Amino acid sequence: MATTIIILSIALPWFGALCVWLAGDKKPQRTHYLAMIFSIITGCISLLLLLNFDAHEAVDVFMGGVFGRFTLIPDGMGVFLAIVAAVIGCLAVIFSIDYMHEEEQLARYYSLVLLFIGAMIGLVLSGSLLFMFVFWEITAFCSYALISFHNDDPKAVAGGIKALIMTQLGGLGLLAGAILCYVNFSSYQISVFLAEASSLPQTVLSVAAFGFLLAAAAKSAQVPFQTWLPDAMEAPTPISALIHAATMVNAGVYLLARFYPAFKDVTGWSFAVMLVGFLSAFLAAVMALASQDLKRVLAYSTISQLGYMVYAIGVGGVFASQFHLMSHSVFKALLFLGAGAVIHTVGTRDMRQMGGLGVKMPLTRTVYIIGAWGLAGLPVANGFFSKEAIMEAGHANGPVWAFIGMAVVAGLTALYSTRMIAMVFYGKPDVEKDIHDAGFAMRAPLVLLAVGTITTWLLAGPFASSLKASMPFHEFHLAGTFELAAEVILAPPTWIVLGVIGLGILLWLARRWFYGLARIFQPVIRFAEQGLGFEHLNRGLIKLTNSTAKLFQKSQTGQLNWNLAGLVIGLLAVILYLTWRT
Amino acid sequence: MNHLTLNAALIGVLGLLAVGFYALLTGRNLIKLIIALQILVKAALLGLVVAGNVNNQINISQSMAITVIVVDTVVAVIGLALAVQIRRQQGTLDVRQLSNLKG
Repeated sequence: MATTIIILSIALPWFGALCVWLAGDKKPQRTHYLAMIFSIITGCISLLLLLNFDAHEAVDVFMGGVFGRFTLIPDGMGVFLAIVAAVIGCLAVIFSIDYMHEEEQLARYYSLVLLFIGAMIGLVLSGSLLFMFVFWEITAFCSYALISFHNDDPKAVAGGIKALIMTQLGGLGLLAGAILCYVNFSSYQISVFLAEASSLPQTVLSVAAFGFLLAAAAKSAQVPFQTWLPDAMEAPTPISALIHAATMVNAGVYLLARFYPAFKDVTGWSFAVMLVGFLSAFLAAVMALASQDLKRVLAYSTISQLGYMVYAIGVGGVFASQFHLMSHSVFKALLFLGAGAVIHTVGTRDMRQMGGLGVKMPLTRTVYIIGAWGLAGLPVANGFFSKEAIMEAGHANGPVWAFIGMAVVAGLTALYSTRMIAMVFYGKPDVEKDIHDAGFAMRAPLVLLAVGTITTWLLAGPFASSLKASMPFHEFHLAGTFELAAEVILAPPTWIVLGVIGLGILLWLARRWFYGLARIFQPVIRFAEQGLGFEHLNRGLIKLTNSTAKLFQKSQTGQLNWNLAGLVIGLLAVILYLTWRT
Repeated sequence: MNHLTLNAALIGVLGLLAVGFYALLTGRNLIKLIIALQILVKAALLGLVVAGNVNNQINISQSMAITVIVVDTVVAVIGLALAVQIRRQQGTLDVRQLSNLKG
């Protein structure tokens, strides 16, 4: 039973991708509804996975020779992330019906989205490192193709290529780990790796550990790879909501969480993970504060929240990080889709040209405030419980300076969220603009996600128990939902952080007193707007990759005589090698 | 076969190979390329004959050589026929201008 459900949850979106592609662009309504039906069915099937937790493989196919066994395991971590991917994918597709209303080439768009959803589900359910890498690369390709969806816009194409290059370089770290696993254990299976990781020599394990950290940092846009995510905001907004907030960027955090038991004893690894998370959270929060583009603020906010999750893994709070991952997917998707509704109406992403939109877009304003409530971590939204769980873990196991830093970041988060809402929805409206609230297809996902933001923390208990039951290598301490909630509410770190968050909100309201201070910091702010120097590094990296590619391009002349000469020389080389082998 | 003749023959093979490759890489006319390929095949033929002589198996090398000559002739004929058609369709035999994937 579980086998059928798992196979369907990957095969159906892929079959849907094929169907949508064949449906073509001639009748857009047909393409829209076909995509919607497939995504809804995928969402429902993935929810059925909730009934079938198991630490054992549900699908086990021997792929022959050196490729190992292709396994899919429905354990707690994988199932919850698969559900997040499928359900938020479904909502993003429904949102796209309205958002992409007058766009061309819808078949390409929807088939890539469905391909992505299937690949993401495969990634989190995969039990084989090699096939996890394959699914990882498929998601990276879909991300590139969807970022550059408007392929006549050079900014979009540049953003897509940047994302592709950086996530692929990180993917090499994952491939290195997979190959190390195979070389040492003759198997790509994750369960084998986790069981016998301690038998590896320290150097090999360190290489694998830091390789995985590289892959995760590149995929989740952590320092020093964080520059691709803000540039990926050229993608259509439902794509930003799905790929760059709720699913693909979670793959890095998921990777770290899944392999935590194997790597936690490697010297310096936990500290490195914590440092990467802390730096990302802090730097991204500063950059969000300096940004004028609505989607860029959300992109930096995503990097910052992912930094929280990575920090949590570094201090040992694996459950807290996965819980925050779940909450973040919901409220970040909500914020992005809300931003999409705003951008669709106003026609620009620049916050300075928005203002006073709350009057004519009351529903969007309400759901946006709910999303920001979750982002800032205020009770009773899901962000509150998960963020405080992370802070608790940090207080218990991590260094004090990191805890203080993360509390400051929480305050900064509250500050830039308030700033975002004030600039977009409050203030003087521009009466000349024709503003209307979102259509039905946009409103339904927004309302559902808003309800989710307020309620998904109730799933904390079942989530914890499913993790405990189905993941034999991790250590989780069990608690029901309300015990977890009580633990969070009563812990001293919670009150400290809530205080800092309140301070953050107050700072915005009292900002006039700080304008003088802001003038002193002007060069810092401009430096932050430019990405704190990382943009230079990454632009250099991309130029290097492009120039190397162009160098190799020169060998492909397209002329007949060069091709023939190449053939003959190749043949000669083979003959000589075979002759001289003896 | 004495040492000197063997060396001379091998130098001949290498020389023919060199001439053939040079003509292949710097030729612009399609007919020149076909001729260059023919030179390369003759180099291989010479190598075959020399090998047969050195190993005292001249019968086998003779049969292989005749087979190669026949195959090589057929390939040359087909190549020239294609060249004629290309001249008719594209109007040129210059390989630098014949790099469309279509047509």
